Amino acid sequence: MSKIQDAFLKIGSVDRRWIFLIIALVVIVPLLIPVGLPIRPTDTTKNVYDAIESLPTGSKVLLSIEYSPSTRPENHPMTISIMRHLFTNNHKVFITCLWPDGQFMAQDAINQVAKNEFNKVYGEDYVFLGFRPGNEAVVKGIVSNLRKLYTVDVYQEKIENIPLMNGITNFKDFDFLFSSSAGFPGTIEWVQYASDPTGVPMATGVTSIQVNEVMPYVQAGQMVGVLAGMPGAAEYEALIGQKGSATSGMDAQSVAHLVIVLFIVLGNVAYFIERNRAKKY
Amino acid sequence: MIWKRQIPILIVTVVGWITILGWYIDEPTIQGFVNDDATQWFDILASFAIILGALNLIKLQVQKILYQKPGWIYSIVAVSGFVFSIVAGFFIKGVEDSVAKWGAHVTTDGTLFKWMFDYMFSPLSATMFSLLAFFVASASYRAFRIRNFEATLLLVSGIIIMVGRVPIGSVISSWFIMYLIVLSAGIYVNIWKKDMTVTFIFVAVGISIVTISGFVMGWPIDQPGIFYLPAIQEWIYYYPNVAGARSIMIGIGLGIFATSIRYVLGIERSYIGE
Repeated sequence: MSKIQDAFLKIGSVDRRWIFLIIALVVIVPLLIPVGLPIRPTDTTKNVYDAIESLPTGSKVLLSIEYSPSTRPENHPMTISIMRHLFTNNHKVFITCLWPDGQFMAQDAINQVAKNEFNKVYGEDYVFLGFRPGNEAVVKGIVSNLRKLYTVDVYQEKIENIPLMNGITNFKDFDFLFSSSAGFPGTIEWVQYASDPTGVPMATGVTSIQVNEVMPYVQAGQMVGVLAGMPGAAEYEALIGQKGSATSGMDAQSVAHLVIVLFIVLGNVAYFIERNRAKKY
Repeated sequence: MIWKRQIPILIVTVVGWITILGWYIDEPTIQGFVNDDATQWFDILASFAIILGALNLIKLQVQKILYQKPGWIYSIVAVSGFVFSIVAGFFIKGVEDSVAKWGAHVTTDGTLFKWMFDYMFSPLSATMFSLLAFFVASASYRAFRIRNFEATLLLVSGIIIMVGRVPIGSVISSWFIMYLIVLSAGIYVNIWKKDMTVTFIFVAVGISIVTISGFVMGWPIDQPGIFYLPAIQEWIYYYPNVAGARSIMIGIGLGIFATSIRYVLGIERSYIGE
């Protein structure tokens, strides 16, 4: 018994570099050899899907990109899937960014989905308005008068020369908003200053760590749903029937989470043994 | 003194009151100011703030290099990155005007700025964030201890969320979780009674009840739902989490309200350096 306890204590005081190595392995191996675990869409994800599915063809959807390369593995698959879904249903997409880095992420998604996969026409099927500084003031500006805030698009084309912008002056002219967000400014600012005061429905895709903050708005009905982190993105990929990087990342995340749980359990066993021995002597 | 103290306070007070009243008075001029002009002013100020921020950053980093303060080597990297960004953003596009206009060149493939973003900023940014996974694993291994009831509650909910959120959680049946609960209860019974026979009977009866009930009622993998990890994690997200998040939000809201009142009444003067 004492030998087993000693073994646990040894594990409990293992050098953290071993932990780093194990984590690296459990992330890399499933990425190289996918297991293909089943993905079960949650209600919050299904609600986002249903909301977009119920929009009439040709609806004007504002897609706001608020993340940087650091959270790309979580947010980008959501943006890609949402864009695919919107273009499949022939909606008109208007893209804005509250983060400067978001402009690069949006351009990447446009290249992949709008240009390569759907051959959509710029200015007729989608518009890329880009980034403006000012955080929540930008949201407020879009709500009051978008044309004062955006006189040109990302490509320096005058807004009045873009056919798709005809009839668009403020936030109320949109039918739906999807915010792909990784923090401030982002989802919460869109709810507080745009969606809630105007009644335009919105949904969001956020990083796992943000779900706590966003959930009260979902539960209150101020948002139709939320794609929660990489699992949410993978669920959406499953719903639209097009697997992507989130689905392939789920195996790695599953195994990594299990290993972290195992670490926690082993750490606690070692802690209890240590505590009992300390009590004895 | 009047220009440095009284006038700024007066501006803040007047603008603050007009902005607040804009939410309550249905008067087009005030509404127009709050919804349109004020936000435009903010956007303009925010644009200048970016310039000020950049100048401040470069001033601090250059000072660090000149006086060779601790870590001044890193400041050289910061200043070099800053200069490179300015050059790539304002002076060298890397492509012809027909490919991308100034401004549009920032996100256009083949430009110097886009190259910098793709091959320098993105990998560095992703690397920094990815390191979190390693630190979280190491920290949870060392710090997540069952020291008291609250810590136990936090640990158990953390584990349920971690496993329940990912696909592997949905392949763990409710039966398995019930067996785990019986075994965990068995540990407590053993600590309490200190009798191996009693513990054995408790665990054997518990496992038998779960197994027989499961077979009799024909429980699928996700039944009973109360023991199915994805269902439990959704419940945690929807109820205890939302309750906690709301209380924090209400607290923050009250704090913002109190601070705003201090601003419009001229009590809070930190913005003029007092």
